[in-house]
Amino acid sequence: MSKYISIENLKFALFELLESDKLFALDHYKDLDKDSVNIMMDAIKDYADKSMYPVFKEMDQQPAVYEDGKIIVHPAIGRFMKDAGENGWIGPTFSYEDGGMQLPHVFHTAASHIMECANNNMTGYTGLTGGAANLIATYGTSTLKEMYVSNMLEGKWAGTMCLTEPQAGSSLSDIITSASPQTDGSYKIKGHKIFISGGDHEYSENFIHLVLARIEGAPLGTKGISLFAVPKNRITDNSGLEYNDVLTAGEFQKMGQKGYCTTHLVFGENDDCYGHLVGAENQGLKNMFQMMNGARIDVGMTAASVATAAFYASLQYAQERSQGRRILPGGVKNVEAQQTSIINHPDVKRMLLLQKAVTEGSIALLLQASLYHDLSHHSSEEDKEKYHLLLELLTPIAKTYPSEMGRVSISNGLQILGGYGFCTEFSLEQYYRDIRIMSLYEGTTGIQSLDLLGRKVVMKNGETMKLLTKEIIASIAAASNYDDLKPYADKLKSASKNLEQVVMHLLQFAMSGNHERYIADATIFMEMMSNVVIAWQWLKMATTAKTALVTGNTIQTSEFYESKIHTMRFFFKYELAKNNGFKETLMDPDSLTILEDKKSVLA
Amino acid sequence: MKYLVCISRTPETTAKIAFTDGNTQFDKNGVQYILNPYDEWYALVRALELKEAGGGTVTVINVGTAENDAVIRKALAIGADDAVRIDTDPKSAMNVAKQISEYVKSNPHDIILCGKETIDYNSGEVGGMIAEFLDIPFVSYGEHLDIEGSSATVKRDIEGGSQTVKVNLPAVISAAKGMAEQRIPNMRGIMMAKRKPLNIVPAVPFEDAATVIGYTLPEGKSAVKMIDPENMDELVRLLQEEAKVL
Ligand SMILES: Cc1cc2nc3c(=O)[nH]c(=O)nc-3n(C[C@H](O)[C@H](O)[C@H](O)COP(=O)(O)OP(=O)(O)OC[C@H]3O[C@@H](n4cnc5c(N)ncnc54)[C@H](O)[C@@H]3O)c2cc1C
Repeated sequence: MSKYISIENLKFALFELLESDKLFALDHYKDLDKDSVNIMMDAIKDYADKSMYPVFKEMDQQPAVYEDGKIIVHPAIGRFMKDAGENGWIGPTFSYEDGGMQLPHVFHTAASHIMECANNNMTGYTGLTGGAANLIATYGTSTLKEMYVSNMLEGKWAGTMCLTEPQAGSSLSDIITSASPQTDGSYKIKGHKIFISGGDHEYSENFIHLVLARIEGAPLGTKGISLFAVPKNRITDNSGLEYNDVLTAGEFQKMGQKGYCTTHLVFGENDDCYGHLVGAENQGLKNMFQMMNGARIDVGMTAASVATAAFYASLQYAQERSQGRRILPGGVKNVEAQQTSIINHPDVKRMLLLQKAVTEGSIALLLQASLYHDLSHHSSEEDKEKYHLLLELLTPIAKTYPSEMGRVSISNGLQILGGYGFCTEFSLEQYYRDIRIMSLYEGTTGIQSLDLLGRKVVMKNGETMKLLTKEIIASIAAASNYDDLKPYADKLKSASKNLEQVVMHLLQFAMSGNHERYIADATIFMEMMSNVVIAWQWLKMATTAKTALVTGNTIQTSEFYESKIHTMRFFFKYELAKNNGFKETLMDPDSLTILEDKKSVLA
Repeated sequence: MKYLVCISRTPETTAKIAFTDGNTQFDKNGVQYILNPYDEWYALVRALELKEAGGGTVTVINVGTAENDAVIRKALAIGADDAVRIDTDPKSAMNVAKQISEYVKSNPHDIILCGKETIDYNSGEVGGMIAEFLDIPFVSYGEHLDIEGSSATVKRDIEGGSQTVKVNLPAVISAAKGMAEQRIPNMRGIMMAKRKPLNIVPAVPFEDAATVIGYTLPEGKSAVKMIDPENMDELVRLLQEEAKVL
């Protein structure tokens, strides 16, 4: 079997970089220790090797389809739901009272990484089920919890999130699915939901859809949206199941993630669909954000994982493929010499280093964000707020950077295979197609960028940004202790200052009331800020590696640590340097995209 | 029925193998360790299956230092009831067998199971030596194991077929592929393992009779050999003599 993940890198990030095992000192996590989480991750790797990676290609070749009113998915999904339920992988972060194991999110994200590297078409089914169960556990009544949560965590029933409607994709304020109150406290639900991932298949006897809908008479916009748990089959008085009028109308045929079904659901076509309110009336979108924020980290990690698997596939190819000869001093080539492995060509090495820089940088950021999630729930009151704000600020980046740059990274990986990269015999083309969805669902890159610049950067009057800057400054100080890292610490300091300047520049537009201008180039701002954040992660990794080498307190080989430092240097030279261009664009007085009366620019 | 399963810690199969100190010591730097697959997948799981069917207890035993506690924990997570670690750093299979047999003398068990070999040093000697020290029967390479009353039936792989033997208990049996199916430790098992007893017992004095003089690594894989399609005899010869797959 080909290598698709680096467990060494994952453990380096978890234990050496983030020291996540310190969480076990907190009361909430006291029943766990490093050995327990290592056993869990090793078990998942074993499972991924045997039951996930081998069906990765097959799931692409036998996509989910709609036949006779049913969605047919690969049988591996049935086994996976069952195994994940039995092994406790669906809701391991839940509290003991809710049927979980109180596993920190940082380790759950790590576990997902292993599975997603092996096969990114499978984990959405369990991820959505866990997320939906979590919403019910957090906001649902005790009756709702009893009705649904344990069956979901055991993998018997599946869960989904139903937001999108034909006229309401990015703009959820336009949702029109309706909910009318019934005398027994339930609501009659009516409407179409499209693009619903994992929405139906034969391997779950029931689906609990978490549906955003509008109660009759509710205010317009997002303020009038409520959240409902709507089962495909409702529970009868004698604990049986009867059809709840949730019709599966079709399956979208897609360019990638073909094994992960995407359904069109019709609620209440025969006026016989009932659901229960989850949380308070009109608080639906706010509550749904709990699931959406978690899902954004999950999407970011899926993207990082697909790009990781692609990196190892192209690395192996680069080591095995011989082509051309190295250029000798004086620019000559010895045509009689044997061809060299393509990995020896600087341009190929550059593409491999780019992949390593993007994927390992993304993994570090995603684990960091997950650790903030844990600390935002389980630390001192003051720290809880700090970590919550840091998580809020980093979530759009943690979703977007791996999705966008992961695609670029895979494209480079595919390039390394030359013509074979374009052929279905190798897996690069599948990785390339699979990752494309990551920058679309769970909020497009455009929407994430608006969230970052329009909401997060100015959150708490800019205090949130200051918290991040403080973290970055602390990492700069730690790196500056080493002479060979100091120049990079200085570069990050100036990149961080440049970012601040750009924010101050853009804020002038917002303060003068020109909000459209303020956010017009939010996506470019996202690129610029992501580079600062990933450079911060790389500087931290290099400092950790350097410390290990200097103190001799090593867990990995010295080559491992040296390659971390080398890749940090690569990221600063080839990626962070691009921020000068981003700064120029963002500070340019010319506005070329807000041109209502000049349609002719696209003539 | 009391089952005792001997378990070892071995380098992970993809670990880069290197030696130090003039090729006399294994270089542990950067190596990840696992529970020896023959011990875990076959010996331990079969013991658990038999216990689940017929009752009893499953104890795992390891001879080693505290470094081994992580793999012992894994065996507990898979389902063993308790564990024993004999606290020494053994340099030979004979020492391992001596320590385990001394433990069994004062803590009798009905069946002692071990993997057919460890995937690092591959000596496959421990089981036979334990049996010798205890003066009880030993059956090697078991692919199938059943218990009835005070005897065990073991089907073992032999050249060109299989052999079934019946043996009186107590006995030592070494497990080969096929005896059971790997079990993945679930979250509940992992959490419970932390609370299961791990008894650390001192080692008895032992002096090794043999010392390792040195290790050598196999030569690197040679490049692809192209064979003329007309010359099938040469292909067969190479597959037989060099690749040793025929
Ligand atoms: C495979 C797949 C699975 C999905 N799974 C789910 C699911 O499980 N549950 C669910 O509810 N939905 C799901 N979706 C829907 C997905 O979240 C939406 O497709 C996505 O949010 C975009 O909505 P849209 O397709 O309507 O595009 P639109 O909203 O029409 O966007 C089109 C383009 O316009 C841009 N745009 C839109 N509004 C603005 C704005 N205000 N400012 C700047 N740019 C803007 C967008 O960035 C995008 O580039 C899934 C989609 C797919 C393809």
